[in-house]
Amino acid sequence: MLTFWKNVLENSPDAYEKAVRARDARIGAFLEFNPKRHLGNAAHKAASAEKHAVLAGLPFGVKDNIAVDGFRLSCGSRILEKFTSPYHATAVQRLMDVGAVPVGKTNLDEFGMGSSTDNSALGNTTNPWNEDHVVGGSSGGSAAAVAAGLVPFALGSDTGGSVRQPASFCGVYGLKPTYGTVSRFGLVAYASSLDVIGALSADLDVLQAVYEVMSGADAFDQTSIDVQSLGSRDAEAGGAASLGYRGKSPCLGVLKPDQLELSAEVSETYYACLEGFRSLGYEVKEISLSMLEYVAPVYYTIATAEASANLARYNGVRYGLRPDYAENPDELVRLSRDQGFGPEVKLRILLGTYVLRSGFQDQYYLRAQKIRTAIRQDFEAGFGEVDMILTPTFPRQAFKHGGEDMSPFEQKQADKFTASANLAGIPALNFPAGVLKGLPVGMQLLAPAFGEPRLLAAARDYATLYQPELAPGYERPAGEQ
Amino acid sequence: MDTQELYVTADLAHIQLTEEEVSRLALQVDQMVAYFSKMSEFDVSGLEPTTHMQVSRSRVRADERRDIPGAHPDILLDAAEELEDRFIVIPNVL
Repeated sequence: MLTFWKNVLENSPDAYEKAVRARDARIGAFLEFNPKRHLGNAAHKAASAEKHAVLAGLPFGVKDNIAVDGFRLSCGSRILEKFTSPYHATAVQRLMDVGAVPVGKTNLDEFGMGSSTDNSALGNTTNPWNEDHVVGGSSGGSAAAVAAGLVPFALGSDTGGSVRQPASFCGVYGLKPTYGTVSRFGLVAYASSLDVIGALSADLDVLQAVYEVMSGADAFDQTSIDVQSLGSRDAEAGGAASLGYRGKSPCLGVLKPDQLELSAEVSETYYACLEGFRSLGYEVKEISLSMLEYVAPVYYTIATAEASANLARYNGVRYGLRPDYAENPDELVRLSRDQGFGPEVKLRILLGTYVLRSGFQDQYYLRAQKIRTAIRQDFEAGFGEVDMILTPTFPRQAFKHGGEDMSPFEQKQADKFTASANLAGIPALNFPAGVLKGLPVGMQLLAPAFGEPRLLAAARDYATLYQPELAPGYERPAGEQ
Repeated sequence: MDTQELYVTADLAHIQLTEEEVSRLALQVDQMVAYFSKMSEFDVSGLEPTTHMQVSRSRVRADERRDIPGAHPDILLDAAEELEDRFIVIPNVL
């Protein structure tokens, strides 16, 4: 399959484009698709670095809140619907430097705010496994594009689970790296102390290479960290010791059952997964993350506060949607934002503004930041006992469109497993662990900061027991004869 | 949160709300603020706030001009809706 992907743009770009457009008419993964736009701009395959040769020639999708020169950067919002990016995000540029080719922009919940991609103002995306169900969010277009065989990998952003949750709903791998390891130059800011660029793929070699290429310090992002020295391929070759495990075999931490609150399908898969790891020689140890119940309120306090500040820049003056007429400058700003933002974005801006209001700051934002410290310490204590922690990614499988079986409020509460990694700044990986009743179930592995190599190694181990299934009808890549 | 509070907050956020939006958002905002109040159960004494992860100090660089990709003034001006010479035109607001 990888051989097909490596050659498809060079050998048959027209057939590929046609096949993707035909498939995507049902899925709605892409907001913009033009595989030839950057075909000549990526490094030539032959010239690309040998170490990451696996990526040379591969087409990839980019969530539409990450900048790709010449493509729109809409963030799924009417306010930026017509905005075209004048430059590449560093993560995109680095992938192009090793020969990968950005082919289009994928749909998302507006500004990354949501768990379904139904909050996009610009398009409807549906789950390739079952069209009645959502694709997850907010990087739902990226997850759908990978699951439907439109691209071998795609970029997403993860503020509270936005790479991992759609990956679990679509049955693909989704990596949220350690905070700061991937430059955010070119990522439209949502909540700056939580945001990170991640990747989705059905292939672990590709995912690992994408992570390695994207990561590393960048002069254009003050928060970026140099992690090149970690060299995960070398670590893998060096075995358990170089991955930092305390014993000969890795030790997995699991939560007490009363902390889980899972649907029957996710629960069944979770315990089967635990048994699977045991059979692979992993040690399993119960730990208590006592702060877990505070994760969602703390996360939504911090995320909305930071969002209200970051989204203050959309005022209709220098770029973006604006009304034809306004009585005064103040009204120009208010009307632009009223017409440009959707309901969920308005809700979060209002919440963020409220928790930052003078008189309320100590009660909400400052308190949330202090509890965040306790959450971080909770994980530090946990990683004093175990090498990784295994949780479900989301308490249930993909829900239905329109929130009929899961309200928007319940969706927010269910972010506790994923958002904990963002609050603690640690890496986390969704891996496909089974398919029940026609929908995938994903599990999440968490590791201490910079522990991406052990997450990938554990996912490789698990893949010897369970090979991820592809969505029915999409087993072959788009355009393969 | 009463409706008056919601209007004050919306004003601070530069968001204009229709009456229909007010009745819908008031419920949703209330629900979330009540959810946030769970945080008051937890004793935070002695805890320092976490503002960012993995950032121990500010990073400095040489004070010299550098070219940021795509940040040339002409390219950025092109992103504006309407230009007159090198000025951005906005709707008549006076």
